[in-house]
Formats: sequence, C-alpha cells, structure tokens
Amino acid sequence: MEILRTEKISINFGGLAAVKEVDFSVKEGEIVGLIGPNGSGKTTFFNLITGIYKPTKGNIFFGGENIAGLPPHEITKKGIARTFQNIRLFWSLSALDNVLLGMHRWQSFNWFNSMFRRNYTAQGLRKNVEEVFNLFNDFAGKELIDRMYQKVRDLSQADKKRVEICRALASKPKLLLLDEPSAGMNPEETIGLMEDIKKIKKKNAKIDIIIIEHDMRVIKGITQNVVVFNYGKKIFEGTFEKASANKEVKEAYLGGEI
Amino acid sequence: MVDLNTKNALIGRRPHKKIWHFLTIIIVESFIFYFFINFLTLKEVNYNVILVILSAILFIILQRQKKIYTTIVESFGQYSIFSIVFIILLLLTVPFLFRENSYLLHICIMCGLYLIMAMGLNIQLGSTGMVNFAFAAFFGVGAYTSALLAVNFQLSFWIVILAAIIMSAIFGLLIGLLTLKSTGFYYALVTMAFQIIFHLLVNNLQFTGGSGGISNIPFPTIGKYSFGSSLRILGVDLPYQSNFYYLTLIIVLFSIYVAVGLYNSRSGLVWNAIREDEIAAKCQGINIARGKLEASAIGAVFGGIAGPIYAHYISYISPESFTFDLSVVLICMVILGGLDNILGVILGAIILTIIPEKFRVFAEYRMLFYGVIIITVLVFRPEGFIPKRIRQYTSLAYGKGK
Repeated sequence: MEILRTEKISINFGGLAAVKEVDFSVKEGEIVGLIGPNGSGKTTFFNLITGIYKPTKGNIFFGGENIAGLPPHEITKKGIARTFQNIRLFWSLSALDNVLLGMHRWQSFNWFNSMFRRNYTAQGLRKNVEEVFNLFNDFAGKELIDRMYQKVRDLSQADKKRVEICRALASKPKLLLLDEPSAGMNPEETIGLMEDIKKIKKKNAKIDIIIIEHDMRVIKGITQNVVVFNYGKKIFEGTFEKASANKEVKEAYLGGEI
Repeated sequence: MVDLNTKNALIGRRPHKKIWHFLTIIIVESFIFYFFINFLTLKEVNYNVILVILSAILFIILQRQKKIYTTIVESFGQYSIFSIVFIILLLLTVPFLFRENSYLLHICIMCGLYLIMAMGLNIQLGSTGMVNFAFAAFFGVGAYTSALLAVNFQLSFWIVILAAIIMSAIFGLLIGLLTLKSTGFYYALVTMAFQIIFHLLVNNLQFTGGSGGISNIPFPTIGKYSFGSSLRILGVDLPYQSNFYYLTLIIVLFSIYVAVGLYNSRSGLVWNAIREDEIAAKCQGINIARGKLEASAIGAVFGGIAGPIYAHYISYISPESFTFDLSVVLICMVILGGLDNILGVILGAIILTIIPEKFRVFAEYRMLFYGVIIITVLVFRPEGFIPKRIRQYTSLAYGKGK
C-alpha cells in the first residue's frame, strides 16, 4: 500500500526550478534513500512534503489525502515527522523538553487547564516524561539520560542528532524524514546511527523512512530503494546496486563524459 | 534519577532535619523582608547607597558559597508551601509597619501593580520572545475602560474590572492579529507604533478627556464600606491606602499563581518552543499563530487587571501615565530580573520600583541612577538577577505526586 505519493510536484524560486515535476511514492514499511549531488533539491523536496514550502504545482497524497498547501503543523498532525540538515533544536531548552515538545500532536491542552487544573496538567506531563524516558532508553543510551536536564546547546554533535531523532519519534509518526542524519558523525557514530535506524524499524515495522544521506554505507546498509535527484529532477529509482551501475547516476555524481 | 535523600546519602551528607529547613526559610525570608522594609524607611540617602552595595556583595558571596546556596534552594524546594505561607504572613504586616507613613504604603502598592504588569509582559517577552513595547497601552486600556464606565455609568468597581479584563484581552488579540506576520525587530517596531498611537489617541479624543484625563474616579466599595475610609484591624487604625494594599496583594498573589501554572504547563513549553525556533516548532505540530495570540491576550489581561486598580486608587488618570517610557521601564524590569523566570521578574519589578523612589532626592539625576543600575547588572549578570532555569520534572515523575 502506498503511504506517500507525489504527483508532478514542482517549486520555482524566481526563475529557478528547485524541484521539477517529481513523481515519487513510498510503500508502507519501506526505507527509501534519497541521494544526489549538492543542490539537487533533496532538502527542498523534504520542505515541500512537510509544508514549509508550498508547491507551485502538483499534489502530495499522504494516506490517500491531498496535503499539498496545508500549513506545516497540520501536516505534522497527520503523522509526518522530520529532522533537519543543520540541526534545529530548541537550543536553550533541555533535551527532555525538546522531546516533550515532539509529543505535541497527541496533547490536548488549553490555557485554562494550564492555569487552574494543575493536577490534570501535571498528570499528563508525568506520563509524557515516562515516555521520553523510554525513548531515550531505546535509542540514545544511558549517557543521554544522565544529561537530559542539560541545555541541548551543551550536548555533543552526535547527542544533538540523537535528541532530534528522538523528538521526531516522539510524535509517533507514520512517515519519518531524516535529513543527513550522519553529517558530522565519525565512522563509529555512523554505525551506531545505522543500528538506531534498524531499531526504529524493529519497534514499529509499519513506519516509513525517507533518508537523505551522502554516506553511501548508510544507504547501502539500510535502504531497500534509492531515488536519485539531479537538478531538481528524479533521474533514477530502484535498488542501490542498480543505481551504482546506472550511467546517468554516475554522470550526475562525477560529471558527464566530455 | 535519584531523589534528594538518596543523593545526600551518596554524597555522605546527613539529610537535614525538618526543623532546619523551616528555620532556613524563616531566616532567609525575614532577612529579605527586613532588608526591603529598612530600605524603604531609611531617610538618609548615604545609608541607602551603602545598603544597596552591601546587599549586592552579600548576594555575590552567597552565590559563590555553593554549600549555603544549595541548602537554601533545597529548603525552599522541599517546603515550598510553608515558604509561601510565611512570606504572605510577612506581607500582611506591611500596613501596620507603615501606618504613620502612607507614602511608603503608596510605593508598596505601585510595586504590586508594576509586578502584575511585569508578570504579564514576561509571558510575551520572556516566554514567547515577543519584544512588546506596547504594554503600557494594555495597562492604559484597562485603566481607561474602568474609569470611563465608572464615571459615566456609575458602575461598581467589581463590574468595571471585569469589563477592563475583557477589553484588554480584545485589545491584546487585536495587536496580536495585526502583528502575527512580524517577528523579532519588526515586531518590536510595530508595537512601538501601537504604543505611540494609543498615547496620541487618548490624548486627543474627546470622550477620554484629552490631555486633562479623567478625574473623580470613585473609590471601590464593598457594600457600604468604601475603600476611601481608613481600615481598622485589631483595634489599629490604618490609612486608607491599606485597603488598596491588601487588594493589590491578593491580585499579585493570584497573578503569580496563574503565571506559575502557565509556566509549568504545556502552554509555557509551547511558548518557549516558539521563542527558540519557529520553523522547528511548526514541524512539531505547534500552531504558531494560536500560541502567539494566546500569549498576546493573556499577557494583556495582566495589564488590564492592574489598570483599574491604579485608576481607582489614584482616582485620576491622564495620558501621561501610559506613555512609551512606562513600556520601556517594564521591559527593563523583565530583562533585569531574568527573562522567563518568575522569581526573577518579581525581584526585578520590586527593585526597579523602589530604587528610583528612594533616590528622588537627586531630582533630575534620578533617571541616571536607573541607567547605572541597568548597565551594572547587565555587565555583571547578563542574564538578569535570576537567569531562566531548566524545567525540572523530578517531583512530577518520581516524587510522591498526587
């Protein structure tokens, strides 16, 4: 079953077509790798799906519903969570608070309850804190639990990435978009990251993951399918082995023959 | 997570007995209270300056001495209810101490009003990161609504204060709606414009009394009892200001209660998320527009409560009480006290109201002192007296809870 399908989505910035008529689909339970040279429109494509940019043309179907043009918070509520290329955390809040905010879409709260029904509010928060605790336990390990009351600004690069992934997972998404999760990690940490992604998959077999990555070991290790972008267009879709043998893909990465 | 007692055992420190916690709270609170009372009553300016400098030194020493500091924090954390009750008891005695000198009581009331406003501004400036330069306008909307209704229609204070709350909330929503798209410096600029427009409007409109303002605003009454008559408690006659002092005290406590509730809840968390990163907040499913409008309206209501009390207490209002200067003073209070820290804002509001009053002797150089204080604090403590804290959930998740 298809969970996400885009029909000819395009976006133009001035005269530049950053993403051009991309047809793309993800089946339930799949991990898709999104690769391509720098500036080929991968992150823009993520921004289109999550609603940060509105597509100039085309439709995005998520679970059978057209979400093109909806505001980002509505799209998140439908079950899409993401991480950012250059980590975007709530820097002066603690790791715990960051992940608590990730659960926002499951919370019903209003200012009146916050002011006057304190036990009710506290109970809700208490339950959420337990959940965060479990998430950290599963995906981040003991070191992060010890540091969960520190400002995320003071954490290490790898820990920041982990907090961001935990925040995305906290919203219990159907579709998870990871934008270069291994950027700035050393080889060991990258292996840890691959383990974590496999763990996510093990916990919830139904979840779909689209991952933008420059580290081909990650793509090779965890994805079933890859999609290759170049100059805003999709130039290839298929398995990693086929992609690495494809002439057009090679040209995109290494430049065409003269 | 380990709770406090196990932690103490691990460090090898005996947990303090209950009585010591109580004693610490009593000593610390009494000292702070005594300090402020003394500061207010002292006539000699030289002593005042010495007192300020001494207290600053004491404050710094206390922060360096981690052991004493943590003991105090621990006591207050464990017996917060006792500490609150005790400080309220101390505050209740203020009119008795100042019964000879109603001017000091007046300063205390103004302190309370500034505190309420600073608390409201903190929701916008501290929690949500909206640099609102129009807070005096919210205060003004509250004051003018109640004054106009009370003078023209002879409505009771208790009705007009409700009207003032509703009006200021509407005004807050309106400003919020109009500034929804502007962030950062642009938001600051737009609110500045609103503040100036408000001042010009009340200064020039017919029904607000122009620059002459509104006079003869009646005192509030409860049944037959007027707030203008002297209060008699336990056989002691207190000046009429003590009525307003107690009224302000109740509302101050209530607004602190509300502000703490908001801070500790998901509302506060969402506001912080908006302050930190709007795009990331959107991607967590947070409706930014709703969050900002709520912050704008709820903050405005704090101003809308302080306004009527001020109008009915002074019994005269004019546009000069709601100028841009007041907005700036309020922003100073919040930044100086500590953004997004309620205790800090309380301290900032109290200090910045009392100190300029005490240095009235210097007449026109008074504002200079103001500037010096702000610069000194921001050089030595750039995040304010009490910087914002990391939210703690230990008591929620692992303590006794309810």
